Amino acid sequence: MFSWEKLGRIYNPQDFVNRPEWMDEFSQAPCTLILNDTVRVFFGCRPKRDENGQYVTYSTYIDLDRNDLFKVKAFAQKPVLSLGNKGTFDEFGTYPLSILKNDNEIWGYYAGWTRCESVPFNVAIGLAVSENNGESFERMGEGPVIPYTPEEPFTISGPKIRKFNDKFYMFYIAGKQWYLENGKPEISHKIRVAMSDDGINWNKLNRDIIPNHWDKTEAQASPDVFYANGKYHMFFCGWIPSSFRKTKARKIGYAYSTDLINWVRDDSKVGIDISETGWDNEMIAYPHVFKLDDQIYMLYIGNEVGRYGFGIAKLRGDLL
Amino acid sequence: MMNWTKLGKIFDPTEHQLHNNCKQFAQSPQVLVLDKCVRIYFTTREVEPTGKYLGHVAFVDFDFDFKNILNISSETVIPLGGLGAFDQHGMFPMNVLKHNEIIYGFTSGLSRRKSVSLETSIGLALSENNGLTFEKYKKGPIVSSSLHEPFLVCDAFVQHYENQFHMWYIYGVKWIKGAEVDGTESRVYKIAHATSGNAIDWVRNSELIIPDKIGDDECQALPTVIKIDNRYHMYFCYRHATGFRNETGRGYKLGYAYSDDLINWTRNDEKSGIELGESGWDSEMMCYPHIFQVQDQVFMLYNGNEFGKFGFGLAVLEKN
Repeated sequence: MFSWEKLGRIYNPQDFVNRPEWMDEFSQAPCTLILNDTVRVFFGCRPKRDENGQYVTYSTYIDLDRNDLFKVKAFAQKPVLSLGNKGTFDEFGTYPLSILKNDNEIWGYYAGWTRCESVPFNVAIGLAVSENNGESFERMGEGPVIPYTPEEPFTISGPKIRKFNDKFYMFYIAGKQWYLENGKPEISHKIRVAMSDDGINWNKLNRDIIPNHWDKTEAQASPDVFYANGKYHMFFCGWIPSSFRKTKARKIGYAYSTDLINWVRDDSKVGIDISETGWDNEMIAYPHVFKLDDQIYMLYIGNEVGRYGFGIAKLRGDLL
Repeated sequence: MMNWTKLGKIFDPTEHQLHNNCKQFAQSPQVLVLDKCVRIYFTTREVEPTGKYLGHVAFVDFDFDFKNILNISSETVIPLGGLGAFDQHGMFPMNVLKHNEIIYGFTSGLSRRKSVSLETSIGLALSENNGLTFEKYKKGPIVSSSLHEPFLVCDAFVQHYENQFHMWYIYGVKWIKGAEVDGTESRVYKIAHATSGNAIDWVRNSELIIPDKIGDDECQALPTVIKIDNRYHMYFCYRHATGFRNETGRGYKLGYAYSDDLINWTRNDEKSGIELGESGWDSEMMCYPHIFQVQDQVFMLYNGNEFGKFGFGLAVLEKN
């Protein structure tokens, strides 16, 4: 079993009274870009609900001191990516964001949100490019880079972009079936993978890659992949949709692979769980693993799906 | 110069009993030529209690001189999609192709959105009973919005030429803010081309292949292509983006282009050889053309005034 030492919460929106209005609530699905003396953490945020009680979501960042990750040095001045134009797939949300250094550019893959009549939303994955270390991104095109296809009919979300052996890998989640839970449309997602030589044209594997562990109805999200010691390690989060509103339980799961396609799930190794008290005592979710100055860390969000911020844990030992 | 002789309106849906509670509209007629009849598929409309439409595919069988109706579909030809699916709220239109004894149905599925009225994608269905009913290939679309085709992908017309499948279709280039007509926003869409070896996986380059005649806000729809001798002839319909329902001269007319290589098209509406009627059922509008061959004759089906609310008509190409 891995041994993660929780170091505490780094960011809670409510603690920053001067935060911009569009960053009012939430800090979801963090991911990192390591700069000279800064760790830039991107995450999803929301302004207050609109007059109809609906949220839009943006992607933003905060800059942490590389030598003291609990020191917030700066905020994004505006959302790193605008919302999409009228009628586009990302008109109402552009999060989560996952980034990759690609030559001198930062490529950002993000989930775009639109609103539907019969179900609350649909989601597809878009691509935007930054030439200023992620301060701002420009769309490569107005439509999604991972489109809906025969076997992935809707709600394609949660991208995690990686490059291994000169090949692009996208881990993401896709929905199969909307169903009514007490008259309300709900959906459950499973983790999937697509491969690409150029980051633009993708081949989907078209199957769920992580076996169920808790229940066949379980929902999976945030498939964060990290290479260490000859293996690919995936940390992700999961929950059971039908019980979620009662128990609020979201937990972090673990799987490993040697070829990025075939994965062995082994949650017994994950080594991190909810706390007994505090900001992460109901759920831990949306893990992101990164290495900084020879130390492996995990960022993750806590209660109410990141409404009260994200924290960090430090790996003791190695990922074997 | 092409030379068409109009044969008049041949089908009025209000004179017949249709399934799925449909009473009006017989839009975008498209054929499957069978041994003893020509089966003409069209989209007709069910009115929901909210006043919104659901588009259903139906068919009518004619004899080869189009004088006698032999049969009309009496049950659902292809069911609409389930909750959240791309074709939950209608199919308009369906293009049918028989190739190597397989009957393909290329559907244009509609689903309703919040900020705009709808989104569309192209689906695939197959028939194993000579086109009486169709089964969907999968739940998701085969061609949907992508990086450079942001929305409203629909109106597929597929033929097999030069050892591969060719699809002509349209995609949306913009929704026009504030230009609302009859409660629906205005949108602009254009004709594009895709190729495939298996009719499922399509290669697109997102190029617009037909030059505009009436400016950037020209809407081009429903391309149909036929090969005569060594030349490919395309008909389609086009209109202004706004004022097209009621203002004289802004509604749908037929456009024409030709190509000798399936890549480069020369638009020349003056040579189309077919114009609005001076009076009668097609005097204000002509739209949704479909060209096909029966025995040695080339025919065109099309809709007239009011987008086909009261049916479709036929023209025959004179041999030069």
